Amino acid sequence: MRSHLAKMLCFALGAAGSSGAAAQPRSEPPQSVQEPGPENPNDSPGYTPDEEGPSASGSLKLHGYIDVGFAKAQGNGSSFRQGDTRLPADYGVDTFAPAINSRGEVASLDAGGRFVNGFLPYSMEIGSRASFFINTVNADIQYTPPGAPLLIFARTQLLPRFANGTKTRVVVEQAFGRLTPFSSQEFALSVGKFDSVFGIEYLENQANLRIGITPSLIARYTTGQSIGAKAFYRYQLPSISSAISINAAVTNSGNWVESLQTPDISLTGVPNGTARLGYELNMLGFQVKVGGSGMYGPRNDQQSSAPRQRAFGVDGRVIVGWLSLSGEYINLREDSGAEPGKYTGTGVYPLASGFKVDGFYNQAAVAIPTGATSLQTVTLYARYDRRHAEFEGFGPILTSRWTTGARLDFWSALAVKAEYLFNRENAGAPTVPNDVFTSSVVFTW
Amino acid sequence: MRKLTVITGLMVALVSLTASGATARAKEQPHAPAAVDSSWPGEEMPLPLTVRTPDDLVFKETAEHQYLIFNLLASGKLAYDRGDMATAATKWETLLRVPNLPADLDRVIRPLAIDARQRAGGAAAELPPEPAAPSPDQAALAAVPAAAKKRVSVVRGFVTGGGSLGAGGTVVWLKRRDGATPQPRPSRGKTVSQKGKKFIPRVLAVPVGTTVYFRNDDEVYHNVFSLSHPNEFDLGLYQKGISRYKTFNTAGPVDLLCNIHSSMSAYVYVVDSPYYAQADRRGNFTIRGVPPGKYTLRAWHETSLEPTEQPITVKDDVVEVAVTVTSDRPAPAFVPDKAGKPRQAQLGY
Repeated sequence: MRSHLAKMLCFALGAAGSSGAAAQPRSEPPQSVQEPGPENPNDSPGYTPDEEGPSASGSLKLHGYIDVGFAKAQGNGSSFRQGDTRLPADYGVDTFAPAINSRGEVASLDAGGRFVNGFLPYSMEIGSRASFFINTVNADIQYTPPGAPLLIFARTQLLPRFANGTKTRVVVEQAFGRLTPFSSQEFALSVGKFDSVFGIEYLENQANLRIGITPSLIARYTTGQSIGAKAFYRYQLPSISSAISINAAVTNSGNWVESLQTPDISLTGVPNGTARLGYELNMLGFQVKVGGSGMYGPRNDQQSSAPRQRAFGVDGRVIVGWLSLSGEYINLREDSGAEPGKYTGTGVYPLASGFKVDGFYNQAAVAIPTGATSLQTVTLYARYDRRHAEFEGFGPILTSRWTTGARLDFWSALAVKAEYLFNRENAGAPTVPNDVFTSSVVFTW
Repeated sequence: MRKLTVITGLMVALVSLTASGATARAKEQPHAPAAVDSSWPGEEMPLPLTVRTPDDLVFKETAEHQYLIFNLLASGKLAYDRGDMATAATKWETLLRVPNLPADLDRVIRPLAIDARQRAGGAAAELPPEPAAPSPDQAALAAVPAAAKKRVSVVRGFVTGGGSLGAGGTVVWLKRRDGATPQPRPSRGKTVSQKGKKFIPRVLAVPVGTTVYFRNDDEVYHNVFSLSHPNEFDLGLYQKGISRYKTFNTAGPVDLLCNIHSSMSAYVYVVDSPYYAQADRRGNFTIRGVPPGKYTLRAWHETSLEPTEQPITVKDDVVEVAVTVTSDRPAPAFVPDKAGKPRQAQLGY
């Protein structure tokens, strides 16, 4: 009888012991109450490979993706209305050519070869025909030397183009080393060619990272890569589940995308400065990230440093469960070129007009996890873009775009995406049939 | 009859206190410890137990010993819940000095006492040495049911596969084919450290029901989380010296990540069998205390999409097996944050 009672008492004590374990904050208590007893003879201490111990040998990782597209554009796939010969130029700038892939490349350029002054993006040359194409073959190499707070990273992209216009190219999109000298601080210093630090869209600039397919209407001003040095510092404020961060870069050029950029080397000898100040609130199941960005420096396409470019922007992201909301605004101004000639990524052009643009996008996405091994996530998304751009000597043009689509993620290695873009010319330009259906299959390895 | 009445009352008190603790846990919020009732009868010793016979005396001594343990245990918890870390630390440190404290209780309370003392900001108290872990042989004998003690076997072997990472860390376990597999006993004191912006160990096998502590040993903050359904969790942001924990109640792989440092990753594999092991660096493993019978041997490696399976029969004292694991799970090209949004590890943020 006494041993039976003692056993009951021990059981109660065991339950109380489990209760004591729950004194740790913010976690679930043990769900099952077990009678205390000896350890399992098969108890495992766990496994840590040598490369994470003192005798580590470095870590080399190879990743990449292949992005295959299929699209069909309205009209002739360009920003020109079919048969419209009244216009000597496409308003000095491409503002509404229909992008069809994650690089922002359009379905087609103007077949007539009219004056575009270097502001047309690269083209897939498919016109209005439905076509498959290969957007990007991407390879990433990442190496971490043993015993050093260093990371070396290179991203190379093969861009196969099978039409007569844009040529097949190999682009070293990123190549940098990152030093994290202080183990007690969130500080990283990078030198090389790297992503912009302006805004947030660069964070999902790659086809396998972007929720949808096409970049926003303002991505061309914010998501380019450049050569230089950048520093990142983040300070945690755990008492309010927050952090503040500063990301600052000094680069040869600014944040414009490849087709609008100057060569990677500095043409002016004076660098551009870009910075973003960010705030994060990381609650359980609820995150808010906001930031403000600024950029100042000489124009990227001049050989004199006198003409300046300046930009500021704000961005925000809210993530609640399956729902994510994001938005970004940019205001950018460029002085007129001081010398004849404009040096862009697609060649040298005669005019370097002053330019100003205001634009923004807002995006909502719902990512629904399925719990299955094959189809893991279904994401539905919609985005609204609006851009007001004006070249000196030309009238302002207001364009907007609705984008809606779906993304299916399989096995963490395959993304199937499809979206429809409703492109609208709201003011300053005739309406052009340029809506687009585009899709993308991204194999990630 | 009189004894039963006393015991019933004591049990009711203990159970109600335990239930009170459970209620407090259920109310816990990330930054707002729940208010709990800090009073209960019998704060002071001795307990009002009547002693008339030698049996009564033995019982009273036993009850008071256990009640002292419970009192210190629970009052520390209540102090912890109301944010009184100094009191919590004092209670639990006193508890650790109680003679003949059960070893498993020591292992649970010790990290909590250290944590509370660190939060209280005072000098660390001198604690008695940790109880020695039972030897594998002792533990094996104690863990096996009496009926099976007469005959248990060892299953050992080596694992091949695992791709460029090698087979080290492979989790191997047995499920009975000729009957029900016994429910495993949860392991105690399992800890995954965050040190040098890495998880150590990288792969940890635990039985179902085990609570794993995630201790930050870095100067920087970490936020351990997992999106592995149905064992997903988020421990929030915490600093050096602090442990937070998760109890894993469902078998399967759990990918561990840090919401601050995208380069950090590790794995917990939860097994629903008491017969399991992890391969060492060379791929060798040993499973002890296996009763004779027919089993399915399963093996999982961090590069495996699914465990591999093979039948084995245990009838000899030592059973040797060779296991091959698949490496069909591609290394993730990008790492999600705790909301599932992909991050680029090379950015460092």
